[in-house]
Amino acid sequence: MTNVLELRGITKRFPGVIANEKVDIALREGKILALLGENGAGKTTLMNILYGLYKPDEGQIFVRGREAHIHGPNDAIALGIGMVHQHFMLVPVMTVTENVMLGVEPTRNGMFLDKEKVSRRIREISDQYGLEVDPNAYIKDLPVGIQQRVEIIKVLYRQADILILDEPTAVLTPQEVEGLFKIINTLIKSGKSIIFITHKLKEVLAIADDITVLRLGKVVGSIDPKEATTEKLASMMVGRDVNLVVEKKPAKSGKPVLMVENLFVRDERQHMTVQGVSFEVREGEVLGVAGVQGNGQTELVYALTGLLPLEAGTIRLLNEPIRHTSPREILERGMAHIPEDRQRHGLILTFPVHDNLVLCTYYKEPFARGISLQEKAIFSNAGELVKQYDVRTPNIYVNVGTLSGGNQQKVIVAREFSRPIKLLIASQPTRGLDVGSIEYIHQQIIKKRDEGTGVLVVSSELDEILALSDRIAVMYKGQIMDILDADKTSKEELGLLMAGIHPSDNKKTK
Amino acid sequence: MSETATPSKQSNGGRSSLAQELLVPVLAVVTGLLIGAVVIIASGANVFDAYGALFTGSFGSPARLVEGLQVYFSTGETRELLRAIYPFTESLVTATPYIFAGLSVALGFRAGLFNIGAEGQFFIGALCSAFIGYSLKGLPMIVHLPLALLGGALGGAIWGMIPGYLKARFGAHEVVNTIMMNWIAFRLSDWLLNGPMKASGFRPVTPNVLASAELPRFFPDPLRFNLGFFIALLVAYLVYWFLFKTTTGFEIRSVGANPDAAKYAGMNIVKNLVLVMALAGGLAGMAGSAQVLGVDHWVGQGFSAGYGFDAIALALLGKSHPFGVVLSALLFGFLRSGATNMQSRAGIPIDIISIIQGLVIVFIAAPAIIRWFYRLRSIKTEETVLTRGWGK
Amino acid sequence: MKKLYFLMTALIVASLVLAACGGGGAAGGDVVKVGQVTDLGGIDDKSFNATAYAGIEKAVAELGVEGKYLESTQQSDYNKNIQQFIDEDTDLIVTVGFLLGVDTAVAAKANPETKFAIVDYAYPDCFGTDFVEGQTCGSATELPNVLGLTFATDQAAFLAGYAAAATTQTGKVATFGGINIPPVTIFMKGFEAGVKYYNAQKGTNVEVLGWSTEANDGSFTGNFESLDDGRSFAESFVQEGADIIMPVAGPVGLGSAAYCQETGSCKIVGVDTDWTVSASEYSDVILTSVMKNMNVAVFDTIKAVVDGTFKGGVYVGTLANGGMGLAEVSGASDELKAELEAIKQGIIDGSIPVQ
Repeated sequence: MTNVLELRGITKRFPGVIANEKVDIALREGKILALLGENGAGKTTLMNILYGLYKPDEGQIFVRGREAHIHGPNDAIALGIGMVHQHFMLVPVMTVTENVMLGVEPTRNGMFLDKEKVSRRIREISDQYGLEVDPNAYIKDLPVGIQQRVEIIKVLYRQADILILDEPTAVLTPQEVEGLFKIINTLIKSGKSIIFITHKLKEVLAIADDITVLRLGKVVGSIDPKEATTEKLASMMVGRDVNLVVEKKPAKSGKPVLMVENLFVRDERQHMTVQGVSFEVREGEVLGVAGVQGNGQTELVYALTGLLPLEAGTIRLLNEPIRHTSPREILERGMAHIPEDRQRHGLILTFPVHDNLVLCTYYKEPFARGISLQEKAIFSNAGELVKQYDVRTPNIYVNVGTLSGGNQQKVIVAREFSRPIKLLIASQPTRGLDVGSIEYIHQQIIKKRDEGTGVLVVSSELDEILALSDRIAVMYKGQIMDILDADKTSKEELGLLMAGIHPSDNKKTK
Repeated sequence: MSETATPSKQSNGGRSSLAQELLVPVLAVVTGLLIGAVVIIASGANVFDAYGALFTGSFGSPARLVEGLQVYFSTGETRELLRAIYPFTESLVTATPYIFAGLSVALGFRAGLFNIGAEGQFFIGALCSAFIGYSLKGLPMIVHLPLALLGGALGGAIWGMIPGYLKARFGAHEVVNTIMMNWIAFRLSDWLLNGPMKASGFRPVTPNVLASAELPRFFPDPLRFNLGFFIALLVAYLVYWFLFKTTTGFEIRSVGANPDAAKYAGMNIVKNLVLVMALAGGLAGMAGSAQVLGVDHWVGQGFSAGYGFDAIALALLGKSHPFGVVLSALLFGFLRSGATNMQSRAGIPIDIISIIQGLVIVFIAAPAIIRWFYRLRSIKTEETVLTRGWGK
Repeated sequence: MKKLYFLMTALIVASLVLAACGGGGAAGGDVVKVGQVTDLGGIDDKSFNATAYAGIEKAVAELGVEGKYLESTQQSDYNKNIQQFIDEDTDLIVTVGFLLGVDTAVAAKANPETKFAIVDYAYPDCFGTDFVEGQTCGSATELPNVLGLTFATDQAAFLAGYAAAATTQTGKVATFGGINIPPVTIFMKGFEAGVKYYNAQKGTNVEVLGWSTEANDGSFTGNFESLDDGRSFAESFVQEGADIIMPVAGPVGLGSAAYCQETGSCKIVGVDTDWTVSASEYSDVILTSVMKNMNVAVFDTIKAVVDGTFKGGVYVGTLANGGMGLAEVSGASDELKAELEAIKQGIIDGSIPVQ
């Protein structure tokens, strides 16, 4: 068995930080190598080196046994290396064919674009690997899963036989993930080799032939999937034993804190994306909202937090209606919110940590006296919260944007939890976070629940919903398909509901 | 200067970064001068003569200063000494409206607003101050001067508030509206100068403001150095305090840095937009006030040579920080003021200064050029791609 | 990288040292030094500033004086630029335009040794208020070192009016101004008088649109900038039947010229300078131009300084001293040329009154 790609002793330093230190990895021909590591472990830097975007300070790259010097993506492509980025590089208003052509436009008679040829080739590739992509479809009309296949086609069209897939499942539904795995298997069968970057342990076990784990820029070790367990992988990634199951006592639910009745909400483009939703959240319980992204969850949360007006229906927070109520007033009534897009809504990345920690309370004593900000109080508040919530930051003065995703989320959690709150809304609270941070945030949410706070968790990760929730509402096309008891349902049932299908033997609780 | 360290600490974690923050602007200026030198050589002139004249034109000639002091100490005659410090004071005079106007644009930038209207606000401020300055007679200076200054600030504030309101209420883009307000201001001033505000006689100029409304000058004619410069410094400090030490300033910076997060945190975007535009307009209006009350004493057509537009450049150069703005305004003041001497003694067209200013702005706007040119390591950007998790 | 820094630092230091040594070293000697301070139009305005500077250039060539200029880009530059020339011990400072009136007077008062000439302006004039502390606004006695260069514009405008009346096909000619101020309306008055003189001589009834001396009012754009105004004024005059237009509004007139060129429906009488030169792209629609020969006035002033005969007061450019002139009338018959020459002589000797 030959190694089609080998990195030996790769070191990359950035000022003050070593992103990769003496990293060795090897990809066997026709195999899937899973590169596992937390965010910040150096996976992406390593792949950027491989793709020619960075120059390593030390080390060598061997492609098919020969040393390669990669100075840019073009070199990488010439060597048959193709990369599918986590964030797609597609032009939405163009067709599949046009997107695939970008950068390698073939011409007829040296002048005219030869779309036909590309289109034919796409069909061939699509048929060969079971991708089922229509070359003439517009990207904007395609679901995310198919868009990802277009990215794969782009890479295959450029005749890559080493594929790098960077966090390919982050944006997919469970069903789409399965589809992707099928495609990956087809690719392997036809002789391609794949590096699969991820931090999701179960996927690794499901698909990888080899696993290499990175931590803090170094290779922690390689392991045979047959011998690996999720616990083992997690502890390799994090460097200590990790409790993957959220320990929680049965909920002691009390009075309702949030009551939503027959709610209708339009999104910013005036589409009615929430259509008649009713539910309640009680003190001391977690209600999980499951669903594939884009089924109205976002707008539901916007309406609850006062960012979108209600079209119809009622929302009552602690028995007081919310209607034309300003976001500030809602916050002051005791709602806390971990927003879905933490960088857009939750933080001001160019502000220091200490300012982000008072983003909702800066105008109150002790942080302000009159209009004058009290820096001492703001600093000491930050010092305490950073310690209490274990935010890993060099100091409280650095911009929050320089922190890792997990620590950014901890800043939000610290800020929201340090206020007196009655209701917590957590949207995708652990998206993109590493295992250690997920564990921590989950514990904190359950802790709040046990203190009697009502919690609404919105997540597209079924595992997360199942781990946290006492009851689970499934949203599909703006409506709640059903609300189920968490310990009486299964992933399969929820998966069907998420796809809009009612299983015949549902166990309704309501 | 210890004050400057605080905000840079806030924005970039650690006092040591002050030097770094200054590095690119300083190199940009130096590079601008170097390329300017190439242009001067290409035009067939002597670079040393040119930049020498630029230097003596903006700071004064050291030899002359020594001579002036000697004359003064031996005879008590001040004329030579005044001539020696004239270029320096004149540079400060030129910098004064730049400081105000730069603060105006910088404040807008901090709130995420692009105030292209500083030029129009400048005109309105100047006209309001001039009107109060010449029409209210018999007031003591202690009343008249502050009134004239406030009038200018208020006029500019109204001029800035209108686009602010239009943006907040109807979502009309402030760039379009401030440009529109500029044209209204220009035409309005044409009309005022030809009509209601015209001095007796046939010329389209306002009457002179009364002595009681003039900003006091510190030296006899022709030195025009006046209190306006120190008011500008004071206002710069106030803007700094407002932006970085008050709750409203916090909101404004939040709205500017991330309006979505500001809204989420319960801040009132609309109120802040209007407030910022009004304050920015007031600052630009004060630029006009200081110019008319301190330097010109009357307003005619062509009162401003685009202070409001240069202000955009120097707000960028000053990184929208009040103290940065003061430094860039001084730079522009010295360049502009020294340019006269360069034009006269070295025969270099005054446009070369515009070229240098333009180059500086390009380098500021695209710091990558400077970093590449001087092989600086781009510390900030590489921090971003440290792949701590969010870089992608 | 270190080397580069060092090199740069060295360069800057060197330039500063040289600056300190070399600065202020204006050449002395007894060459007469002349400096011109422009108004906001700049030296290339193809108008006042350019024409005045042409006079200086001629003096440099013929009288061996040293001449240069400083451009003003804003109001506060006037004073600064004048100070710059004073600092360089300039003998004669030529300032251009009435907007420099205050600063010229103040500087002249403070520097009685320096001679000044101000183009298109004369003292006394106060801008309506006192500007020299406790003083009137200056006069030949108050400011003996200032010569105001003014022009009997109506003389040449009279000739232009006559030429226009003789050329019109429609029997209607027009004029409009920038704003209603004497330096503008004097053109219009002379123009109207010239047309009336033609009517009286030839028994015709050529009409003047846009100005009436009797009513002392006419058409004004209200500004000296908008080319669009020039275009729309020309258009409405043409609709009223005029085919020759004299715009007295600086660059606004270029808008009118553009309209005439595009439609072919009218001709333009230029003002201040010869528009076949200063606006040569429109020369096919320029009938003639009423020229203030500022170059002649400035040259004569410099000559007086060189000769030691300079005296403050007011210089009036006329047809007689060559300070005013009418540019060649395009397509004029020999007969018209002769008539214009005869009228010119009549104006010079006073037998034909222009008002």
